[in-house]
Amino acid sequence: MMPSPSELDALQRRVLGLAPEPAARLDSPYWITNDSYAVLRHVLHDVGGQPDAPVPYLDKEEADWELRTYVLCEVLAWRGVWNSEVRRRAENDLGATLYYGLPYYGRWITVAAKTLVDKGLVTVSELAAKIDEVRARHGAGA
Amino acid sequence: MRRFQIGDRVSVRDATTLFHHRTQSYVRGRTGLVVEHRPEWLIPEDEAWQRDDGRVEPFYVVRFRQVDLWPNYTGLESDTVETEVAEGWLVPAAEETTS
Repeated sequence: MMPSPSELDALQRRVLGLAPEPAARLDSPYWITNDSYAVLRHVLHDVGGQPDAPVPYLDKEEADWELRTYVLCEVLAWRGVWNSEVRRRAENDLGATLYYGLPYYGRWITVAAKTLVDKGLVTVSELAAKIDEVRARHGAGA
Repeated sequence: MRRFQIGDRVSVRDATTLFHHRTQSYVRGRTGLVVEHRPEWLIPEDEAWQRDDGRVEPFYVVRFRQVDLWPNYTGLESDTVETEVAEGWLVPAAEETTS
């Protein structure tokens, strides 16, 4: 059974009490401690045992773009562009903000694009031009 | 040739990790039991950079007692968790005086 919003808030406060947000602002410091470095180089997908609040489970179907992303990534593997371990590593390489900011398949499609650019298979300008072309076709704002 | 057999007690090396690995931090430095052999495969530290001629190692399923992993574990004493570990991460468990 899913916790109610107020139960979730209470749980979140308890977790934050156990693991308070660091007070130090990360803003390209002149120096850091070894302990800070150990925290910063923690590999992002290694989440087991990290303190966190419960997240409601959403039993949702994949959207079309998610299925297409899956197939595209598999095809890139068949063509030798990468493998699933390269993809997972590339997701870690995104850094915490993008890793946790993007939906699951949003990470996949982002690192697929990044890997194609990294390997020189498309230029970042070609990719941006295509995004602009599609954006214009859909009449989206800038 | 495999270094460990099913039933062996093994410890996971508490080695530095950088950028990408598949050896969870909660098992590093901990001791468990080999319960299954898994096929040899390119280790994640090489596969993740597409080093197709990289290091191939046997993998093992290692079972840990939850009470050995979490200092304040409140579940049952008999609770366990299993994970897959490449051979290079494992060493024979040190001799223990108590069981």
